[in-house]
Amino acid sequence: MATILRNLTYQGIPIWRNIFVIQWASQILSGVLVVVLVGWFFVNIGNAIQERDIPYGFSFLSRAYQTPIGQHFLAYKSSDSFLYAFVVAATNTIVVSIVGVILATVLGIIVGISRMSGNWIVSKAALVYIEFFRNVPLLLHLFFWFYIVLALPPVRQGYVIAQRLYINNGGVSFPSPSPTNGGLAATWVLAAVVAVIIGWVIRRWLARRERDTGVASYPLAAGCAAAVVVGAAAWLILSAAGGAAPFVISQPEPHGTFGRIAGGFTVPGGLIALLIGLVTYTSSFIAEIVRAGVQSVGRGQTEASRAVGLSAMSTLRDITFPQALRVIVPPLISQCLNLTKNSSLAGAIGYSDLTNVAKTMTQTAPAVSIFILIMAAYLAMSLTFSLIGNLYNRHSRFTAS
Amino acid sequence: MLTNPQLFAPPILPPPRSETGMVGWMRVNLFSAWHNSAMTVMAGIALALALWFGLGWIILEANWAVVPTLGGRIIIGQYNIEAACPGQNCFWRPQAALLLTTALLGMAWAVAGGGVTKRIALVVGGIAAAFAFLPYGFDRMGLDVRLLLLANLPALAVGWALARYTRLGSASWIAILSVLAFILTLVLLRGIPGVPFLHPVSVIYWGGLMLNLLLAIAGIALSFPVGIVLALGRRSRLQVVKFMCIVFIETFRGVPLITLLFMSQVLVPLAFPDNFPQNSLVRAAIVITLFSSAYMAENIRGGLQSLHPGQVEAARALGLPGWQTTLFISLPQAIRNVIPPIVGQFISLFKDTSLVYIIGMLDVVEISRAFIQGNPEYLANAKELFIFLALVFWVFTYGMSYVSRRVEQHLGVGER
Repeated sequence: MATILRNLTYQGIPIWRNIFVIQWASQILSGVLVVVLVGWFFVNIGNAIQERDIPYGFSFLSRAYQTPIGQHFLAYKSSDSFLYAFVVAATNTIVVSIVGVILATVLGIIVGISRMSGNWIVSKAALVYIEFFRNVPLLLHLFFWFYIVLALPPVRQGYVIAQRLYINNGGVSFPSPSPTNGGLAATWVLAAVVAVIIGWVIRRWLARRERDTGVASYPLAAGCAAAVVVGAAAWLILSAAGGAAPFVISQPEPHGTFGRIAGGFTVPGGLIALLIGLVTYTSSFIAEIVRAGVQSVGRGQTEASRAVGLSAMSTLRDITFPQALRVIVPPLISQCLNLTKNSSLAGAIGYSDLTNVAKTMTQTAPAVSIFILIMAAYLAMSLTFSLIGNLYNRHSRFTAS
Repeated sequence: MLTNPQLFAPPILPPPRSETGMVGWMRVNLFSAWHNSAMTVMAGIALALALWFGLGWIILEANWAVVPTLGGRIIIGQYNIEAACPGQNCFWRPQAALLLTTALLGMAWAVAGGGVTKRIALVVGGIAAAFAFLPYGFDRMGLDVRLLLLANLPALAVGWALARYTRLGSASWIAILSVLAFILTLVLLRGIPGVPFLHPVSVIYWGGLMLNLLLAIAGIALSFPVGIVLALGRRSRLQVVKFMCIVFIETFRGVPLITLLFMSQVLVPLAFPDNFPQNSLVRAAIVITLFSSAYMAENIRGGLQSLHPGQVEAARALGLPGWQTTLFISLPQAIRNVIPPIVGQFISLFKDTSLVYIIGMLDVVEISRAFIQGNPEYLANAKELFIFLALVFWVFTYGMSYVSRRVEQHLGVGER
């Protein structure tokens, strides 16, 4: 209180020119304005809900959704609840995002490095790729691939490569491991995880030894070998103990007169079009990020590295790229987030992602509640990405060692 | 005994043939080492195969007839159909709007005195006029349409002369006239009830590339100032303002545009009283603007953060008040520093205008998809149509990034 009074009467400045008063008055005014505006919207929405008898609230979540979902990775049937359908749709988005992010990052790094290649043809090819793919709306990419997939022949006339890979308008089917016995398979997966951890620990130990003593120890090869040996041993022991191998390879085969692929794993056509479109589009942005990052590393680093006799490949892998990562990762994460959000275009080509399912839900459920849910879901995803980004930033900051 | 040093001076030889010219260039750029040579050979073979099959497909196999079949709908959507414009031909209205645009481009050319503005003006006027000479479609593209298209060249000249010989030839006049021309365009397209030849056309019939361009122009023109205000608000010392700006920016950046557009259709009509005038086009424009301004704000904030604090301190030391420091010192330098990301945002806004399909508007992408859907005999030619549209979009977006590079050169970014 005393501070406020002292500020108000500061050196006899009139109250309307007092910076303290002006600042607080403008803040309160703008705050009130926004609150009133938002309040007005809510009052209007409330009125509309009452007048038109629109349902509201979240009680619909436990009701049965009663609508089929095109593709789903979680088991789903029409009698499941709205909440579960929402989770199924979110899983569809997350699956596309994770696969897309991994593929787009790999492709983007390859294209970005090709762009910097000393080889004129490779560099220009990468330039054409980047300039063309990122300057065209994603929706066009998706439609282009979608109609190419649609124009593929039906299953009976589809392409078959080496009796293993089936390509037709239903999607791409390929052999996949299928568990013979749930418990056995789960045990082996657990053993495989342990094997990978053992391999990783060995690689790390050998890498440290190599660094400290200078004795060549081939850490990566040794680590991989250890993981493979442990995994194979677990496989043999489990096969002997359980009487059957934990997994067998399931082959895709057309069934019936109309031809439906049974067995193996089928990636539906819509998902393939979506993934190709998303990955090529996003990778063109990532390529530019990678190039900018590598070019931000001082020229002296490259020159010094070449001067001590490292090859161009080794310079890139061990000197430039690790330093460039510090510049690359923040915009890379924002691109990955963009990919996640862009996957909401999937509805245009018939893939049941979060937005598409939510759009259908608004026909039988209150739009306001669905809007809140969908906002929360996307914000949760972007916060997760930001969290990963911040963790990395903290990890990669320059530290005095 | 060395008496005549000139005798022992080495003769000045030309550089070896293998280091200069075509051969030298190839040695450095294609065959510098064995692995580079291998890469060149492999990439060369791949490129040759791609060109061979690509060109073969484009010339021999592809059926480009789908593009002229869609014809004018690519440009104006359903604007000219009978339901939109009963009893008359409304095609002249978008064409008149195009004439206004070329006239303005002509003025800009005269004021800028050539360079990139001249090139853009000539390309736009030239393409429009070239369409007048298309050797087919006489049944759908009559003499009146062709004459109006050809009139773009005189319009260019009139604009040029206006700017050259009257007092309208200044950047500020062109800015004012551009705003007026945009409003006039909207009035022309929307029509005025009761006026002959200006029959009102509902916005649900606006479509094609025209819709994309209108949304993009409105979005760019509005999201830039809104983005500046948000960026300044986020850096403000006033905690309430800062908090509100952060909430706005992060909310709009966190959610896909398509979700926002869809909800604008479902939710926004409820948020206003029933008698409040609104239509889906305006809602889409506002949502696109708000979404884009959130990204714009972050770009501009990056520019403001890159400024040396000495600039602001010097301005304050000279006695400039706060708003003048911001307007004349910080903002111009900040924006100059972030031209590439800002133009990148403009480009992605233009690309994002294709998302209005979710609210049932027939933009150039959606009308093509609807056409394919409705005419299954063209299903196999969908890729030709979409490749054509990709090229159209590419011309616009590449043009934008070209202009941004020229503006950067002009402002001397990175040089001072």
